[in-house]
Amino acid sequence: MRDLYQRLELQGDASDHDIQRAIEACDHSALKADARVVLGNADRREEYDALLGTVRDIGLLRARLGLTHGPFWQDSTANDFSLPPDNTGARHDLLIARVERAVSLHNRWRRWRAPWLFAALLLGAAAIGAALCHLWLS
Amino acid sequence: MPSGRFNPFETLLLTSRSQADTAGLMLLAWVMACSGPLDAAQRKRLTELARECRHGHEIEPIFALADRQDFDAIQLAAEVMQKDRGGEQAYPFMRQAIALSITSGEPSITQHHVLRFLADLLGVIPSSFATLYAEQAGKPYAVPDDPSRRDYWLAREHERQQQEARQQEQAARRRAQEAQARQKEEIRRERERREQQARERDRQRQERARHEKTQQEKARQERAREERRREQARQERWHQERGSAGQNRHRERPPTNDARAHRALAVLGLPPGASRGEIRKAYRRLAQTHHPDRFFAEGEARMAAASQRFQRVKNAYDYLMRAS
Repeated sequence: MRDLYQRLELQGDASDHDIQRAIEACDHSALKADARVVLGNADRREEYDALLGTVRDIGLLRARLGLTHGPFWQDSTANDFSLPPDNTGARHDLLIARVERAVSLHNRWRRWRAPWLFAALLLGAAAIGAALCHLWLS
Repeated sequence: MPSGRFNPFETLLLTSRSQADTAGLMLLAWVMACSGPLDAAQRKRLTELARECRHGHEIEPIFALADRQDFDAIQLAAEVMQKDRGGEQAYPFMRQAIALSITSGEPSITQHHVLRFLADLLGVIPSSFATLYAEQAGKPYAVPDDPSRRDYWLAREHERQQQEARQQEQAARRRAQEAQARQKEEIRRERERREQQARERDRQRQERARHEKTQQEKARQERAREERRREQARQERWHQERGSAGQNRHRERPPTNDARAHRALAVLGLPPGASRGEIRKAYRRLAQTHHPDRFFAEGEARMAAASQRFQRVKNAYDYLMRAS
């Protein structure tokens, strides 16, 4: 499986005209013939694009999970769809971090007896408001 | 610092009794949905699988995530599986994934890539994966085709043409069979019609024969009646003649060579002037020949005809005996 768009230096949403021009400009005769058959037909291109989307996702997953050298990721597929490791951390680590934050917030809330604090703040605000009103009226 | 709300799959994982089971279900749903949205049969199959898991939550959110190919959910599920289900523990999961991918025949190319990713993810080496695949699918594992190559599409086109040719051939064969069946039906109907006509003709013939027989019977009865009537008349006439002959026997004697005696002798097959002995001999011979009892076995008509002849012979003899 090869990424014909990448090999023809095209974007995934390239128009038919751009594709034809890129095919004509291609020097590689075998690639030229393959691209003409695959991308020159609307139905075939649609089917190929759907598969391409999934394989690109798999390439990204492999990059993030450290599987870019697995035995089932070889040859042209690995060549065209392997991505450099990105800076996005593991989703699971992200989840754990979120849970930790939620837990710490919860614990802090409970430690500071937050309900009482909230009631006290409310009363304080009401008192300040009453004092301001008194000053404004006098 | 992470921010934002927990997404649906994270919520599922946090509320699940077994995160690995939930993640496994998510990846199995991905295997099925990567070729298109899940249909009713696929959802039913996944629901049955979910009953055997310990995830302890509704499976509908997983269907929704799989249908829209939620990348974050798939990545998170893959991470959980990689962490919890590596090595030997992965085999049951891989068996399920392969079984789901072959429910509608050969796995699609997309499913092939997903299965290969899962095998790499869980550390299942190619030889083990090939064994698992052969166990589940009943045939050896083959490397997926490459749709980025011209040969793949030309082979598919060729296969499609062959399929169309087969369908046309089947249609032609079916039409030929139908035509043959129609022809047989026509022949059968024609035969039935002919048999019906033959039966009708037989019936008419029998009817005609019965009618003719009735007519013949009537004619025979009529003839018999006529015969009896004539016999009766002849008897009466004979009695009258006998009476008058008795009266005139001495007065006038008819000559033996008159016309009537000639006719009577002719009836007996004798020349004129035959003697009484010859007449008696001829009478006995003819009476034996024409006696009605001889014709008893040959039917009433023959018997009646013989009786008539016998009566003529007897009348001739009686006349000649009386006259001589």
